[in-house]
Amino acid sequence: MVTLEKAGVPAIGIAAKSFEKAWQSCVAGWGQPYTGYVIIPHATTGQQQDFIHNMVDGQIDSIIENLTTFTNSNEYTSKSKSQVEQYTVQLSNSPNGLNAINSFLEERDWTDGLPVIPPTPEAVEQMLKGTTRAPQDIVMIMEPGFGIATVEKVAINAVMAGCQPEQFPVVLATLDCLSKPEMNHRDMQVSGHTEAPLILVNGPLAKHAGINHGTSAMGPGVVNKANTAIGRALRLCLINIGYCKAGSGDPNFIGLPTKFGMCISENEEDSPWDPYHVDLGYDKNQSTVTVITVTGPADILDPGSKTYIDTLHNIKSMMSYPNAGNGDWIRGQKTAQVGNTNQHIPYQGPYHPVLLSPSRAVVLSEAGYSKKNVQEWLHENTQVALSDIQSKRPIPVDERGNWLSHPDLQHLESTAGATIPALQTPEQYLLYITGGTTHYGHFFYGTYGIGTSLVEDINF
Amino acid sequence: MDISILSPAANQVDFKITPAPRLGSLDNKTIGLYNNMTGGADIAVNRVAHHLKERFTNINFVSYGGDLVPDRPSLSRQVHIDDEEAAIIATEVDAVIGATAH
Repeated sequence: MVTLEKAGVPAIGIAAKSFEKAWQSCVAGWGQPYTGYVIIPHATTGQQQDFIHNMVDGQIDSIIENLTTFTNSNEYTSKSKSQVEQYTVQLSNSPNGLNAINSFLEERDWTDGLPVIPPTPEAVEQMLKGTTRAPQDIVMIMEPGFGIATVEKVAINAVMAGCQPEQFPVVLATLDCLSKPEMNHRDMQVSGHTEAPLILVNGPLAKHAGINHGTSAMGPGVVNKANTAIGRALRLCLINIGYCKAGSGDPNFIGLPTKFGMCISENEEDSPWDPYHVDLGYDKNQSTVTVITVTGPADILDPGSKTYIDTLHNIKSMMSYPNAGNGDWIRGQKTAQVGNTNQHIPYQGPYHPVLLSPSRAVVLSEAGYSKKNVQEWLHENTQVALSDIQSKRPIPVDERGNWLSHPDLQHLESTAGATIPALQTPEQYLLYITGGTTHYGHFFYGTYGIGTSLVEDINF
Repeated sequence: MDISILSPAANQVDFKITPAPRLGSLDNKTIGLYNNMTGGADIAVNRVAHHLKERFTNINFVSYGGDLVPDRPSLSRQVHIDDEEAAIIATEVDAVIGATAH
């Protein structure tokens, strides 16, 4: 809508009540905070026609008024061009006085709601020793607020999250991942459904950063403090640099506890297979960070399996949810707009991370399955009916009725009971071996893109 | 005790877009109806069109929104309208009413 206003076209949007702040935040980020909107009480999805008509009918006068007579009736606080960089806060021995810094930050909506480590200049300077990058180097422009992510701003947020300097290269690498257009971090940030970035760390620097890959590694506890701090640092960056604030830039209808942060490394010692980054072509001695947008997880319960086939079927069973993007690839590749430009990057998705305990990987490996074999099995055996895909939405066609994407598969329309793989390629089942060696796993539904970046190797 | 802290909030790119001039009246105008193919958005914008037809003379509508329109990638599902697409739309309609399912 802002882009249309920029082109000289008056534009107005219809938004549900719970998206009002999200609308305000987004149009402000795009540079036109007065872009018009009208509010209806509920999202239209799944509502009957008469219900939608009733919601819209009361807004006609406002729509006409906005398109014919410009007003600033939607005015609210616009972004400031430049932030104050340093503040002084008074501490005292009283309970409120001890919490003064957190109160100060909370008043400005600069935390995730939990107490933080004070980002003093000294603490930030120490954090910056974790990289060779200059403090004012720009890592990325983060949406939806188009915040300028300098190395220093990332360091400030990393301090607040409780990171140590040896973890800072991992934090920076998460932003390197988000900076890749094919990651489509904008939709990760502003989507109304619940999703969060999952951080996967591989290589020797994972151990150096203190990231737990063993028992309970995604849970709370001192042993997981690096995992927690790194995941939290990314969330604080998304809030304070990307302006993805709960209820406005982040309009998740209910949110996810995993949004506080998810970071884990691969249990490369106990895995029978090559690590994930080696699958991608990196050297085993290099270190990488991969960020994927996911929702979930759901537990893969595998204690009853008698054979590897039972285990494979258990993993496959997690794909039963019909709205997990199953078969959507038949409609064509998704694209992501590159920032505020005319460039659109096609990207493949979703990637569904399957976090398997080492013992589940060993079951499959002992049966002669390589990781690639497992991915191919899941790809081949997880199918979706073509008729189900078409019943949701027509497959796009050209003026002659030919499928615009995958025309070689259009013959399946005349085959009764035809199915296609739920995901386009085997690699989209992202197998990652981690955690304690038990009979469980985690299954995440991927949503948008994926990005992998090298971690800077600093000699501390 | 006073303690200094640094702001975690980033400066933002300041695009500063000027609002488009308004139309005065919708008589004899062509209005774009944009939906991003999420559920019910088409019903919402079409309902607005229904009302506008009753109130204005010679008002016309063009529907936008859909999957993979050839040569119009920005009109695809969940893809933002970019400057190039907006420039094309500006030659086709006088104003746009948009809706997503949200």
